[in-house]
Amino acid sequence: MKNILVGIVSFIVFLIIYFLQINFFSWFNISGVKPNLFVILVLFLGLYAGQRNGLVLGIIFGLFLDMTMGRNIGISAIMLSIIGILGGYFDKNFSKDSRITIMLMAVGSTLVFELGSYLLNAMLLSYRIDILNFIRIVIIEMFFNMMLIIILYPLLKKVGYMLENMYKSTQVLTRYF
Amino acid sequence: MYKKKKGILGVVITTIILIILVFLTNVNTEKLSYIENVCNSLIMPIQNGITYIKNKINGNNSFFENISEIQEKNKVLQEENTKLEQSLRELEIIKAENTTLKEYLSLTEKYEEFKSIPAYIISKDVSNYSSVFVLNVGTDDGVENGMTVIADKGLVGHVISVTKSTAKVQTIIDSASNVSAKINTSNESISCKGVLSSKTLKATYIPNDAELISGDTVQTSGMGGIYPKGIHIGTVRKIVSTNNILDRYLEIEPAVNFETVETVLVITH
Repeated sequence: MKNILVGIVSFIVFLIIYFLQINFFSWFNISGVKPNLFVILVLFLGLYAGQRNGLVLGIIFGLFLDMTMGRNIGISAIMLSIIGILGGYFDKNFSKDSRITIMLMAVGSTLVFELGSYLLNAMLLSYRIDILNFIRIVIIEMFFNMMLIIILYPLLKKVGYMLENMYKSTQVLTRYF
Repeated sequence: MYKKKKGILGVVITTIILIILVFLTNVNTEKLSYIENVCNSLIMPIQNGITYIKNKINGNNSFFENISEIQEKNKVLQEENTKLEQSLRELEIIKAENTTLKEYLSLTEKYEEFKSIPAYIISKDVSNYSSVFVLNVGTDDGVENGMTVIADKGLVGHVISVTKSTAKVQTIIDSASNVSAKINTSNESISCKGVLSSKTLKATYIPNDAELISGDTVQTSGMGGIYPKGIHIGTVRKIVSTNNILDRYLEIEPAVNFETVETVLVITH
């Protein structure tokens, strides 16, 4: 029941992000490069709602993206599910109380996502790999995502603790003391 | 309390920096000329005055020597000038007439045999690495996989997948796109590839003895089976020659502006 509720709410958030990404960020961009809010969303779910939820929702969102925009079904699904798993891994190993850790997590997972999806696409669609341009895009995108995390951090923290209380209310004592 | 205030301050500062960055990176270089104008208008009057004085001082020696000769010359030149201007105007009128006539001729020749379905672009790609449009027409309107999509000025791309009411179009500036094309004046065939994160095409496989002129128009050659023959792609912007003549390539500016294009035509074969 909890999972279904979280799933529905995060899907609505996903749709909002989807329309933002298409309409708003197509003109609010840094030298033509858009940020990637999907990565932030899935990382956030992996961090606060658990690894399994991050994985499942990552696959669902990724498949949705592939169906609407992609040319090969599965690439975004695989990469977003990896981000979900990474989120769970970060949750176990790092503290989420500091803004800087969350920023670094977002930067790292953006790099993983973009590198993976670009290489998979390049293999399947026979791109001519253009390393310099790719590095330029990735750096700007990581920077953009980092700034968005700084802006969104208070909101993320609030919603995140709410989610965490829903899932881990019985485990709080063993976790923190 | 202090910490909370600091956090909000950080958010505000980051937002402002982000907005400034977005503004700066998207600003037109044309708009920068406004600042240039301001700078120039500060300096130019003084510079003009100084130059005027300098010329006066330099030319003082010969100023009174041959004034009548100069006046005569001036009269003759003025007459000549009026004659030339008149003929220039006549020529311009003829030129304009010529181009419009040519346009009519080529347009009717080019697009007469194609039947097409008009469509709107309803969404553009979410990622930074590919350039895919979604159109508001689908199988219900008669669109099929592999059909060519054009805009008013030239080639846009081809349909890669289609549902009942939408169609996905891979544009020619996408990295995975490859269009077989030919240069109009010399009929040399080339291959135009999309380049990551740039709005130009890169044309390779140029014959060694090809004569290349920047400004030439490029159109589809009809080879490869996706695009029909004779659709305008764009113009040659730059010829990049390398040490090895086999490696040289052309930068081609597409005729369609992919950022602002909204309505397209799907050609049904």
